[in-house]
Amino acid sequence: MARRHAIVGGGTAGLNAILTIREHDRGESEITLVSAERPYSRMALPYYLGRSIAESHVFTLTPARMAQLKVHTHIGRRAARLDTAAGRLTLDDGAALDYDDLLIATGSSPVKAPVPGVDLPGVHSFWTLEQARGLVAHIREGSHVVMVGAGFIAFTILNAILALKARLTVVEIAPQILPRMIDRNAAEIVERWLTRHGVAIRTGATLLTIDEANGRKRLRFREGEDLVADVVVMATGIRTNLEWLKGSGVRMNHGVLVDDRLRSSVANVFAAGDVAEGPDLVTGQPALHAIEPTAMEHGRVAGANMAAQDIAYRGSLLMNIVEVCHLDIASFGAWDDPAADAFAAARPERWAYRKLLWRGDRLIGATILGRADDIWTTNDVGMLKGLVQCRGCLGAWKEHLRRNPFDVKPAFVASGATARLLPATILGRPSSPAYQGL
Amino acid sequence: MKLLRITPERCTGCMRCELACSYVQTGMFQPARSVIRVSPFEGHTSYAPYTCAQCAEGWCMTACPVEAITISPVGAKVVVQDQCVGCKLCTIACPYGTMFYNPETHKAFKCDLCGGAPACAAACPTAAIEYVEAEAADWLGRFAAERSPRHIERQAALAEAR
Repeated sequence: MARRHAIVGGGTAGLNAILTIREHDRGESEITLVSAERPYSRMALPYYLGRSIAESHVFTLTPARMAQLKVHTHIGRRAARLDTAAGRLTLDDGAALDYDDLLIATGSSPVKAPVPGVDLPGVHSFWTLEQARGLVAHIREGSHVVMVGAGFIAFTILNAILALKARLTVVEIAPQILPRMIDRNAAEIVERWLTRHGVAIRTGATLLTIDEANGRKRLRFREGEDLVADVVVMATGIRTNLEWLKGSGVRMNHGVLVDDRLRSSVANVFAAGDVAEGPDLVTGQPALHAIEPTAMEHGRVAGANMAAQDIAYRGSLLMNIVEVCHLDIASFGAWDDPAADAFAAARPERWAYRKLLWRGDRLIGATILGRADDIWTTNDVGMLKGLVQCRGCLGAWKEHLRRNPFDVKPAFVASGATARLLPATILGRPSSPAYQGL
Repeated sequence: MKLLRITPERCTGCMRCELACSYVQTGMFQPARSVIRVSPFEGHTSYAPYTCAQCAEGWCMTACPVEAITISPVGAKVVVQDQCVGCKLCTIACPYGTMFYNPETHKAFKCDLCGGAPACAAACPTAAIEYVEAEAADWLGRFAAERSPRHIERQAALAEAR
């Protein structure tokens, strides 16, 4: 009998697992996808919001493609219960699915700060396509949009909101913007840049309530003046979707604990993406990296192992990049490790900032700011990622970079990073373009 | 497959490759839009061009969340412009720093081997860039390492002087 794979979650991790299984077995096994939503790319949603792409552009596994990939689907259904002893998954409509192996890829959900009024109409989250549609319908030219939260997700839609010619205020409870992505010094540069581009910013602002105010929303804070908004976006964090795994016997910490095969404590149950707590490339320790590249790599490695390959994963590298008003902001690896040897430099006239973090003469993390039209910045973003990823020793180049953190390319080229990087592939073979079907 | 083999010892720093690349890629002679970049070494006494190696992993391609990067008939990883949304994930995923972003079109772009007739190789007067059957390799590492002590010393001396 054909092997039966169950994929729970149709986001990046689930998609990549399906494509990888099919690359290996060309349709031999049975794949069943359970997805609460029609599969789409979350990364594309900000561009749909800003109307630079049509809604149709966001979909990944269309019905036609799923047919080509020979994937059975339960779209619009959620997993309700997992019986790992019986190898049976129960859905929220009571349907039962028997599997030989299963991938947990249920991702995460937005969390609204626990403040009275957050459930009023006109107070949005921006995470799902449905929520994106809601925002698209409500933001108009001249609308005052208040973004509560100044983390990565909030920053991915600042350009879109400005493109819709709305007026934008960003409020953040922490003393700085992007507190989980860049340090205070970098944040100050970004805050100045945004202010110059017409975005109002209030940091250290604790939201107390949101009330109706003649069809608009009034936001009250512990300190400072109230804000009146046409549209409120709550970008106050995400949580992993693990509730349905209660009683399954799958070991969990912050997420589902997985080994370097993306295998959970139950041998035929894998986990990938935002829900999976797997090895961190830099520390080797279990880590939850709720980011797109990790979901992709997890999905591919889990898919390969489900297709009876034996692929070890080297670990995920934390990385984020976002562009706001043509300023690039990126950080990776142990960008905030207090135990690291760190140095930083700014070139305020070019809105550029670099921070490099080291263990011995190995680069383990970095932050970089620079203008998006600055090729130097774009290329160095990649090379700094490469230096962290390849774990090479930089020898005398470390002191060179301490003197000038902007002179990355000579260090990258002369330290032999390319030679270390070229043989490394995620699946131990050359990658193919995204598999389109049989 | 055929790829760009770089022999840095032959490079004279004439920058013709950058001009040719930008002309073929954008229709204008603008080295700022070139996806092959010539770097100086040892205080501008030697030079070497650097570009995408069309690596086996294709970090840009696998990272792309909208499947906008694919492999062309000549084996190059290429950005399908209509599909790219401009999220920049490829620029951070590529560990070689050979992805580019056009701030006017809000799209990523990269070396596509000019569809099998790379302009840089054709323009290079000294065969420092050749389009030949080869395995991807670190063409510049040894060349750069040999020339790095002086670069490091010079920068240290400059820092000292400041």
